[in-house]
Amino acid sequence: MITLGHYLVLAAFLFAVGLMGALTRKSAIIVFLSVELMLNSVNVVFLALSRYFGTLDGAVFVFFVMAVSAAEAAVGVAIVVAFIRRNGTTNIDAANLMKW
Amino acid sequence: MIALAVFFIVAVLAIAGAFTLLFHKHPVVASLGMACATLSIGAAYVMLHVPFLGLFQAIVYAGAVMVIVLYVIMALGGEESGPKVGRIQIVLACAAAVLFFAQVFRVTLETGASVFGAAPQGYGSIQSFGDLLVNTYSVPFEIASLLLVGAMVGAVVLSRRKWE
Repeated sequence: MITLGHYLVLAAFLFAVGLMGALTRKSAIIVFLSVELMLNSVNVVFLALSRYFGTLDGAVFVFFVMAVSAAEAAVGVAIVVAFIRRNGTTNIDAANLMKW
Repeated sequence: MIALAVFFIVAVLAIAGAFTLLFHKHPVVASLGMACATLSIGAAYVMLHVPFLGLFQAIVYAGAVMVIVLYVIMALGGEESGPKVGRIQIVLACAAAVLFFAQVFRVTLETGASVFGAAPQGYGSIQSFGDLLVNTYSVPFEIASLLLVGAMVGAVVLSRRKWE
């Protein structure tokens, strides 16, 4: 029998993996994809709890998260392209303009 | 029983894709791992009785986002270069991830098995979803469309050639 906990633990695991990817990888593209993975795992929690409580409000929130993440993908990829053109590398350590 | 087996297959595929994204050196293989993870998550949506969101997931993530990312890698390259990540950074990131997962796992164990009840009539149908979207959440829906227009303009502005 699949319970709510199965989905919550799966989502937490995916979120933790995405968190590690965002904090330890150096390629800007991989960091961007890790953030997308974290967004996706939160969507699983939304849908599991929505199913548990029997209302579709969580599904609507997942819809909005998808819209936001599509916007984020468009702007994020444009930023990555501009970053690679300017620095000649995808290494995010090169982004140190606002570092002191 | 069959549902449980399908769930575990989906979970293993999602976790394998996520680990590919986390560990593989080559950016193309890592992106394909992410595509595998997003498709598996879409299958999980279908198992949660919201099949059209699973379809959206396949179209938006495995379709659009992945193609854009692979296109960028193909055109500009995405190999990692430069010095390695510091050991302290890796240890701290592992600690954050493990602590987060352990906390969620502990809370889930404490609350016990919460079995899903029977889905209400019309749950997960396009009709009930659309009803909710244009009646209860109509203002956020309009704001989301404004956000997408803003993102489109922002992407065009950012990709002008003025960085050289």
